[in-house]
Amino acid sequence: MSELEKTAVPSKCSRCDKPMAEISVCDYCHWLNPAAAGADYFALLGLPRQFDLDEEVLRGKFLSVSRYTHPDFHATDNPQAQEMALRVSAAINDAYRTLRDPASRAAYLLELLGGKSSAEDKSIPDGFLATMMMMQEEIADARTTGDQAELDRLRGVLVTQHDGLMRRIAGLFGEYQEAVACQAIGTDLLNEIRKQLNAVSYVKKLLSQTTAQPTAG
Amino acid sequence: MSLILGIDLGTTNSLAAYMTPAGPVVVRDASGNALVPSVVAFGDGVVTVGAAARAHAVENPLATVYSVKRLMGKGLADVEGDLKYLAYPVVAGRGGMACVNIAGKEITPQELSAAILREVKNRAEAAVGQEIRQAVITVPAYFDDSQRQATRDAGRIAGLEVRRIVNEPTAAALAYGLGRKDDATIAVYDLGGGTFDISVLRVSGGVFQVLATDGDTHLGGDDLDMELIELITSEIRERFGRDMTFPPSTRQAMRNFAEAAKIRLSSQEQARIEIDLGAERRLERTITREEFEARATKWIDHTIEHCRAALAGAGLTADRIDQVVMVGGCTRIPLVRRRVGEFFGRVPYTAINPDEVVAMGAAVQAGILAGVQRDTLLLDVIPLSLGIETLGGAMGKLIMRNSTVPCQASETFTTYADGQTSVDIHVLQGERELARDCRSLGRFQLRGIPPMPAGAPRISVTFLIDANGILNVSARELRSGREAGVQITPAHGLTSAEVDAMVKESYTHAIADLTEHRLIDLRNEAGRILTAIDKSLAGAGAALSGPQREALDKAVAALKARMAGDDPDALYAAMKAANEAAMPLTQMQMDQVLQKTVMGRKIDEV
Repeated sequence: MSELEKTAVPSKCSRCDKPMAEISVCDYCHWLNPAAAGADYFALLGLPRQFDLDEEVLRGKFLSVSRYTHPDFHATDNPQAQEMALRVSAAINDAYRTLRDPASRAAYLLELLGGKSSAEDKSIPDGFLATMMMMQEEIADARTTGDQAELDRLRGVLVTQHDGLMRRIAGLFGEYQEAVACQAIGTDLLNEIRKQLNAVSYVKKLLSQTTAQPTAG
Repeated sequence: MSLILGIDLGTTNSLAAYMTPAGPVVVRDASGNALVPSVVAFGDGVVTVGAAARAHAVENPLATVYSVKRLMGKGLADVEGDLKYLAYPVVAGRGGMACVNIAGKEITPQELSAAILREVKNRAEAAVGQEIRQAVITVPAYFDDSQRQATRDAGRIAGLEVRRIVNEPTAAALAYGLGRKDDATIAVYDLGGGTFDISVLRVSGGVFQVLATDGDTHLGGDDLDMELIELITSEIRERFGRDMTFPPSTRQAMRNFAEAAKIRLSSQEQARIEIDLGAERRLERTITREEFEARATKWIDHTIEHCRAALAGAGLTADRIDQVVMVGGCTRIPLVRRRVGEFFGRVPYTAINPDEVVAMGAAVQAGILAGVQRDTLLLDVIPLSLGIETLGGAMGKLIMRNSTVPCQASETFTTYADGQTSVDIHVLQGERELARDCRSLGRFQLRGIPPMPAGAPRISVTFLIDANGILNVSARELRSGREAGVQITPAHGLTSAEVDAMVKESYTHAIADLTEHRLIDLRNEAGRILTAIDKSLAGAGAALSGPQREALDKAVAALKARMAGDDPDALYAAMKAANEAAMPLTQMQMDQVLQKTVMGRKIDEV
């Protein structure tokens, strides 16, 4: 299966034979599709498999798909349907949570596309490590002296870093899609995305240090 | 279709509501009261629940249990801080579980809560005229897994199938938002008798989505009462001696005074307290609202900190909140309304009855589950992160707090010894780094692992949090594909078998209670009959014929005998027989009375 092929939406509902718009549930008779529990997060929420995502569109999809799959909606159904609703709902909630945050969305999409995990490839962009180590020292100093203004400044720098990295990642995913469309190999691009994502993790860790409370508490 | 009851099982008061096409309806008694004080009293072999129990708290302090919600799902060690509020003996039961000791008998908080739930259920059944078997019960949003399980167990012991455990602020949001068309971001500030919750929700298109929740299960009106009690006791000690001690009944009386004063100070600037301490000692004190606010303010500060945390959890600032809904009796306090208004930058919404809104929301959720409220949906969250104890005593989080439920996480385990057939996992809830600083939910033992070399088995464990916010664990050994059995030993709860036993026991007791009550009522009535007969005999006894008098004497003797017995049906029959035997007598007495009244009067006066 090509990486961009999505989990197939059944064309007709198994129970009432009407066309299915979503993979998880039939809009007409509210039959729950067992295949939904194993579907990828994009398919589950009825979204195209790509990094670019409008937050509002994502939220709208999440709410509308939740409506007929939630266990409460199936509270008067037979036990199997209720069990199904529980599992499908959990998957939908996990999907929303993962796709909502750009970094976790990127990591998830990378995995779907066959890219390496952070365990398999820990490399980071050149020169990045030196910059980060310097920042780490500055943060430690500012925390020791209680220099709040400095911590705020450092946080600002890190946020700018983070946003820049995410923009680069978005661009790389776009390039990857183009490459695949032209039948070109995109592995290098995926590896680059992994590098950038590793950098993002680092930046996030430092960010949490700028807001962390003293550990004595 | 059978009705699902919505129940607010509160620290101080409980109440119920049910759903109708016109909206939720609160259950009231004949006098229009909705609230059932969450108090259980034991005396003379009889268990009383509610206002009657509360009324006797001062005379009966060691056997009157209130605020039992504070003990639910907790070990004795966890509630050390609560003991100063509780006048009755709290002890460690099986496994260190917090229990109440009444006359030497250990009673679990679940059984006590079940007594309250049973009373609420009975009132509701009387109001709706049908049997109620299912309920939705609310809990503070910040209740952990053990506390939720304990609440569900209490429902079962009371003879109710608990279809859903709902978070109180979410329920309030449901009641508030029902029927409103506009999208909104709302905050629910819920300050109850013993617990505080703040939830931030987004409401759109009939979907109520909780974004974040925060709170403290040990912060509430009881703490404000405590401030006033300390004020009073320190002044008493100043005036009458440092070593003044207060017997339980006095402490209970002071609790009542403090609570009453706190309530009065919401509508008045002053509240007067008079306490008789015996031996010619009296404390008369007028407490001003200012004094109360000075002491109360630090507790309200805490609630505002939690509000800040909840907003951060939701990724919002205070100005993004469209409405702040106030829930819980304490939100009537002017200080609370002021501080909340200041923090959120808007006047809080107080138009909905803060005592009833949660029960009403529970009724709406009941309606959703019954399938009559198809266009409303609740998406709630788990309030505390859930994880397992990892090597070195660290807390390894698997599910983050404020995750929408249902949600799940999987983790793979293996064995450390050859041929090992079971694996233990210690499950925890909380935000701290070390396992010992988090709440232990219990130990899960995965059994039935096929014997293999150490490290070979791949046991995939799925932690699923259901819509109640309660954990369900399932495990499968991947190599063999076999489901592993999961044996749970709760840290502070009852096992399934124990609950079953209590359900059986309570059923037997329910029958016994019914009989006991009936006997008491009948004995009272029988006593009245005997007194009436005596009076009539004194007046008109001479007019009875021989056989009539003999029959009456026999019936009276039989009735007295039955009164001393235990058979309500036989007693009822004896009462009927005595009334019948007394009929000639009563007839004669009436004639006499008539004669007397008529004789002394002229015709035109009659």
